[in-house]
Amino acid sequence: MNAAAWICLATPLGATLAIAIAGNRLSRRAAGYLSTASTMVSFGAAIAALVIMLGESPDARAHTTTSWTWLSAGKYSFGLTLLTDQLSVMMMLIVAGVGSLIVAYSVGYMEGEDEERRYFAYMSLFVFSMLLLVQSGNLLLLLAGWGMVGLSSYLLIGFHQERPSAIAAAKKAFVMNAFGDATMALSLFLLIEHTGQLDFAGVFSSAPHGGTVANLIALGLLGGAVAKSAQIPLHTWLPDAMEGPTPVSALIHAATMVTAGVYLIVRTNPLFEDAPKVQDLAAGLGAATLLMAGLIALVQVDIKRVIAYSTMSQIGYMFVGAGVGAYSAAMFHLMTHAFFKALLFLAAGIVIHALTGEQDIRRMGGLGKALPFTRTAFLIGSLALVGIPPFSGFFSKDAIIAATLTKGTFGYCLFALCLAGSFLTGLYTFRLFFVVFGGEKSSFAQEHLHVPASGSEGPVSMIWTVAVLAVLSAIGGLLQWTQIWHPLETWLDPVAFPTALPSNTQEWVASASAVVLGLAGIWVAHLAYSAKTLKVPRPVKLLEKKFYWDEFYDAIFYKPADLVSRGLGRYFEQPVIGGSIGEVKLGFRIGAGELARAQNGLVRAYALALASGVAVLAVVFLATR
Amino acid sequence: MHGPSVSWYIVLAGMLFATGAIGVLVRRSPLIILLSVEIMLNGANLALIAFARHFGHEDGQVFAITVMAVAASEVVVGLGLIVAMGRRHVELDVDKLRTLRG
Repeated sequence: MNAAAWICLATPLGATLAIAIAGNRLSRRAAGYLSTASTMVSFGAAIAALVIMLGESPDARAHTTTSWTWLSAGKYSFGLTLLTDQLSVMMMLIVAGVGSLIVAYSVGYMEGEDEERRYFAYMSLFVFSMLLLVQSGNLLLLLAGWGMVGLSSYLLIGFHQERPSAIAAAKKAFVMNAFGDATMALSLFLLIEHTGQLDFAGVFSSAPHGGTVANLIALGLLGGAVAKSAQIPLHTWLPDAMEGPTPVSALIHAATMVTAGVYLIVRTNPLFEDAPKVQDLAAGLGAATLLMAGLIALVQVDIKRVIAYSTMSQIGYMFVGAGVGAYSAAMFHLMTHAFFKALLFLAAGIVIHALTGEQDIRRMGGLGKALPFTRTAFLIGSLALVGIPPFSGFFSKDAIIAATLTKGTFGYCLFALCLAGSFLTGLYTFRLFFVVFGGEKSSFAQEHLHVPASGSEGPVSMIWTVAVLAVLSAIGGLLQWTQIWHPLETWLDPVAFPTALPSNTQEWVASASAVVLGLAGIWVAHLAYSAKTLKVPRPVKLLEKKFYWDEFYDAIFYKPADLVSRGLGRYFEQPVIGGSIGEVKLGFRIGAGELARAQNGLVRAYALALASGVAVLAVVFLATR
Repeated sequence: MHGPSVSWYIVLAGMLFATGAIGVLVRRSPLIILLSVEIMLNGANLALIAFARHFGHEDGQVFAITVMAVAASEVVVGLGLIVAMGRRHVELDVDKLRTLRG
């Protein structure tokens, strides 16, 4: 069991190091295959761990293994500890499984790109970081994985380092995530102070229950989760992160990175249950984000950005689920979301690939006839995203919406927001679908669309991975249907026992209303963008400007800091520091010139100096005797 | 204890040392400077021997022999340098050797 955990964690890191060290000696192809193979070995190890775990009794499924003491300071010591339990195995399967599909897809997508080796080294590093995050046995190691995920995302978002916009987006993602890392570190300090340890089991049993400290700890963790998962108010990095290559977006959105926040809340659920107000805050932020992201997605014109906002929206659902205490529902949605979001991104990647890099949906249209396979895959992903039965999103999203009904008045507010989100999801998803694939071929597409004569819509590696994900998106939801069977919930119960258990009536009400509203959204999208009987109103400025979040942060953080530093530069640095440095420099120059004259090269003068020095010393010695 | 008291020897040693030191300071020929250094060393040697006799202890004599050995080696190096200068037709004047001026 422990061997499987270590193999799962170490192989992607090994691939990163191998690619980095081998450099030019490794062909580009080989780097891609090495990276793919490493993530697949990782996935194999995760499956092995699952199989071993299935043979154990449900209460004895948590295994910890410590390789060595990583850090020891005073009476505290933190080991390099891996925890393998039901929750981490589930995350290992998602991260390594979906991750390996995305890396395999990249082999085709990145063909001919400069610096493919660097790309694949980063991809493996990203998967490794996320695995470290989900497998760590204490919060300190989790924070290390957390930071490394931030670093890998920085490297990959800024992969096209010749584009200033990519570098800006990478910096933005890194800074926003660093903010979350900081709040999380603060909460870890509090935990060390009050419990003296950071091992999950120990922390959960001895952390303060209720009170300011418990609230602050949960708030710090929530800050980290919000930043990593791109929820209000730290969400603005996610749409900009679309500057990275498309498979990177898929990796960030589906397998790694944004799901980390949800994982953190579910993993540390005892800490959040000690601070119910913070848990409500998490649900509230999730609900606000899902609605806001849905609204913004309506007016975006970049195919990847629409999908990016839909991710924010779906992560919002997961936050609602984790916030009301429906942990297994949130994790279930995380899993199905990983399938259909990876599918949507990779299908969008085929479209972008076929249009030689074009991402603006206003120039697309009528691509369905030329790309029938991609159209089908995208349709499956869209239906799963909207939550139409029997596609996977239906089962997971509705479980979350049903869980909100158990939380009283606050729950009803969440319920209403989630339903509004369902309608918006149907609308923006199918707006994208109809605009890109429906109708007649646009003039841009007629000119630039190139599909190989063989009839294949892209390289083999891009097609089979999308096909696998399409199958998973279509049937992955059948893993659990709360009303009838719930193996996943039973599986996760020992780690995260749900506090929200909706009744069957609530389940049916939630499912029915969500599906009806989702279908209504699709129907409106059909009227507006396919049948064109409904006139599309002009985009609202507020939505086009994404609720002015960027401008807001610009005004309250960037502008004052810029002003202060400009002022300091002008009134302090130049006159005071710059001036004084000039004086000091001049002083040294003059002093050195004077001193240099003493070294005149006359040996006898040196001897005289020596002799007179000895004479002076002798006189002093005699006089003070 | 026979002979003059130790202070006579010390005075003579001091005079020898001073003679040598003045020679080092005022003469410009490296050969003479080398000779003057030898005189200084011999002054020091005389003082060492005198004190050794005064205290009836042989440490001073051991040191004197060491100094002689050092002086011999020093002369070898110094004379070698002077011969090298002569071979290169460098004027034998230490004040002309000012390449190390700062």
